[in-house]
Amino acid sequence: MTLKNIQIALLGLLVWSYVGMAAADEFTDEDEKRWMAQFDAVAQQGRSLWTSPALGSNGVVCAQCHPNAANTHPETYPKFQKQLGKVALLSDMINWCIQNPLQGKPLELTDPKLTALQAYVTWERRGVPLAPGKH
Amino acid sequence: MSKMNRRDFMKNTGALAVAGSLPVSLIELAFADAKENFTLAYISDSHIQHIKGSEFVRNWDRGLIRAVAETNLLTPKPDFIVYGGDLAQLGTKAELDHGAEILSSLKGKVHHVMGEHDYYLDLGAYWEKLFGPQHYSFDHKGVHFVVLNSILTHDEWTFHRWPTPEQRMAEMAGLDNPNGSPFMVGEKQRAWLKDDLAKVDRKTPVVVFSHSPLQKIYKGWNFWTEDADEVQALLKPFEKVTVIYGHVHQIQYNQIGNISFNSVMATAWPWPYPTAYKQAEVYLPKLTVPINRADPFHERDATGWQFINLASGNADLHYTLYDNQRRVVAYNTQTRQPEDTQYQAPERRIPPQNHY
Amino acid sequence: MKHTPFGFSLLAALLYTALAGAEPLGLPPVNIPADNPQSPDKIALGKKLFEDKRFSSTGEVSCSTCHDPVKAFTDSPLPTSKGIHDATGTRNAPTVLNAAYFKRQFWDGRSPSLEDQAIHPFVNPIEMGLPNHEPILKIVRSDPQYAKAFKTVFGTAGEAITLTEVTRAIASFERTVLSGDSPFDRYYFGGNQDALSPAAARGFQVFLGQGRCVSCHVIEQTQALFTDHRFHNIGVGINRIQDDVPRLAGAFLEAKARGADVDVTVLSDRKSSELGRFAITDQFDELGAFKTPTLREVARTAPYMHDGSLKTLREVVEHYNNGGVSDTKTRVNDFLSGGIRPLALSEQQKSDLVAFLEALSSGPSQESAKSAKTPRSKRP
Repeated sequence: MTLKNIQIALLGLLVWSYVGMAAADEFTDEDEKRWMAQFDAVAQQGRSLWTSPALGSNGVVCAQCHPNAANTHPETYPKFQKQLGKVALLSDMINWCIQNPLQGKPLELTDPKLTALQAYVTWERRGVPLAPGKH
Repeated sequence: MSKMNRRDFMKNTGALAVAGSLPVSLIELAFADAKENFTLAYISDSHIQHIKGSEFVRNWDRGLIRAVAETNLLTPKPDFIVYGGDLAQLGTKAELDHGAEILSSLKGKVHHVMGEHDYYLDLGAYWEKLFGPQHYSFDHKGVHFVVLNSILTHDEWTFHRWPTPEQRMAEMAGLDNPNGSPFMVGEKQRAWLKDDLAKVDRKTPVVVFSHSPLQKIYKGWNFWTEDADEVQALLKPFEKVTVIYGHVHQIQYNQIGNISFNSVMATAWPWPYPTAYKQAEVYLPKLTVPINRADPFHERDATGWQFINLASGNADLHYTLYDNQRRVVAYNTQTRQPEDTQYQAPERRIPPQNHY
Repeated sequence: MKHTPFGFSLLAALLYTALAGAEPLGLPPVNIPADNPQSPDKIALGKKLFEDKRFSSTGEVSCSTCHDPVKAFTDSPLPTSKGIHDATGTRNAPTVLNAAYFKRQFWDGRSPSLEDQAIHPFVNPIEMGLPNHEPILKIVRSDPQYAKAFKTVFGTAGEAITLTEVTRAIASFERTVLSGDSPFDRYYFGGNQDALSPAAARGFQVFLGQGRCVSCHVIEQTQALFTDHRFHNIGVGINRIQDDVPRLAGAFLEAKARGADVDVTVLSDRKSSELGRFAITDQFDELGAFKTPTLREVARTAPYMHDGSLKTLREVVEHYNNGGVSDTKTRVNDFLSGGIRPLALSEQQKSDLVAFLEALSSGPSQESAKSAKTPRSKRP
């Protein structure tokens, strides 16, 4: 290996380590755009589920009672939910609605569908301040 | 004060009968001559929804069944009943037949109004077979009643945009669907209305039944009629005009010039006020005292029917709200606008609850 | 008077908890009205009045006849209560246990307080049958024991003793009749995972979930009253008069307008009784509606519902599972409350649910009720 080659190799190593470190604390507008697009894709899935009869068993869809996810108030969770008898998460209430008006089976807490529904509902309330426990 | 009860109502209207609490919208037209007083009941927006075979969504079925049973208890009997549209969810024969069957228990003449959920599958063909023409007028005890189909839209959207009638129906069935299209009465029907009204004395009280509000409230959810201004212009010459509409599944009222506007409740499910969706600009009429958020755990909460008293040719609506305080929105002859008889003043309102 | 040793020890325990303000596990503090504060003497006086049979026209019926402490303050297994001359009423005796928490009393809520409630059965013709309240006042004014007690408790004597003092004392006693700290409470609020059997624990999940019971029989994060204080048409009783409702409702309102006594009518006319809370409020949406009862001690208070028409907890579960009809061939009531609909519970879920309901008793176990002579040992 010539000196020059060693220099190149060292330089390469430096460049590699620089790139590796940069991702930790620096990101570009493009990154942000891409990440937002990732969220949007999931929120969009949520919107599709919001209008999908497949979530329940009787053809009723979330949007029938909640156009634009109105009156879901995701910013108030966790909160005491009177007739669930406990401090509930938004996902608890989504599952309650799936089981009752929609007469479907509740989603597992790890089900990506539940994430998508919450992403959509929360997106519709963007800009509204958090008010946990609010009644 | 809490619920206005039947006996208060009777006292106030001088009616003879004892039974007074009604589960349907009852409209009473009261005139100086008490013999001419009459009431109507108003049921609307049942959204009968077919699942498969003989199965229908029970929740919506029960709402209509209950309203019909309660209407039949009304004393005095209403002179007639108005069904305000959206009997079906997706306009199918199965849904319209099932809804008509439930309504067939009603004791009394029913006048039907077309809703978009009844219309956009076959453009009203089967509905017409069951219930008659899509727009018409009639006179009853000195009042001129007009029924309009206010949920029409552009020909281009109706006839050319969708590959199937089913898809057209589905697109119009979603309230917040950006693929939908604004409602309108349309030029042809407005010409008919002009002719119809030409024969009516300007002192005659006119009551218009439409499905969508003949005023512009919130376009995003079609709480809106695109040619509302043109229709209002046709109604302008009359001394007393009342427009009663369904579609919005909530209490709304307003006064524009000589025209009083009142909405009726749905029997199926309540809708939040557009104000509940804070990202949108709000057009709820200033006069309207909103009802509280509905409790999803009580399936009939904030659904119901109304009982309407058209005293002196103006409408007083007695809302029978399940699981809620009853509300009476009456025309105030001093302020010349509809007002909530109990809660209009801000300090008298029920503090809003934000549960659920 | 019927004093079992158990009754005494229970009273002692209740007195202790009521005065110390330490309600049993799973119950909130009892709300004591400002004009009727609790005292041990008042509670003891109330108990004596509650058990006094002289306050009936035949001298055979006391409050405790239909609200027997040994039967969880009901008259189980009677479907509807027996008053004087074995006259049968139209309603199943509701337990006094935890009545202190109700916002309205009676199945149809026609009474706003325990104090007001106590006024009515004395003069109901098929309950205690007195023509008016005078005979009660005569007794409490002249009986030396009562005279002494009223003097101590209210500082009044002779003519100054009125029905107000009588009903206040009874209400004070009733506010000590509580049921909590059941196996369920120890499991859910006390964190003892072994307090419920596996079946009952599964049943609890049915109660909260697919069974939808908790919608009306409320359980909260730190307490469980098992009632929403509301009135619901659940398809019991009203189904028998379904086609007759327009006539009955009209006739009832007319009678009421003419001044008929609602209390008498609903307890003596079987059909009018089924109008439920409508008879009180005239509101169509309360036709056939009755108060959501507590479920505490429910295993000890059969039969069930306002008319005692369902014999077992299993029958109750079946009724709800069918969506508000006991027999699936029956037409669902037109005025049925929203939320009552078929539940599609499996046989296992139904049994589990019953096991859960059986775990809501804290009173004497069935064994100790049978051998009531043995004083019940205090809970650890």
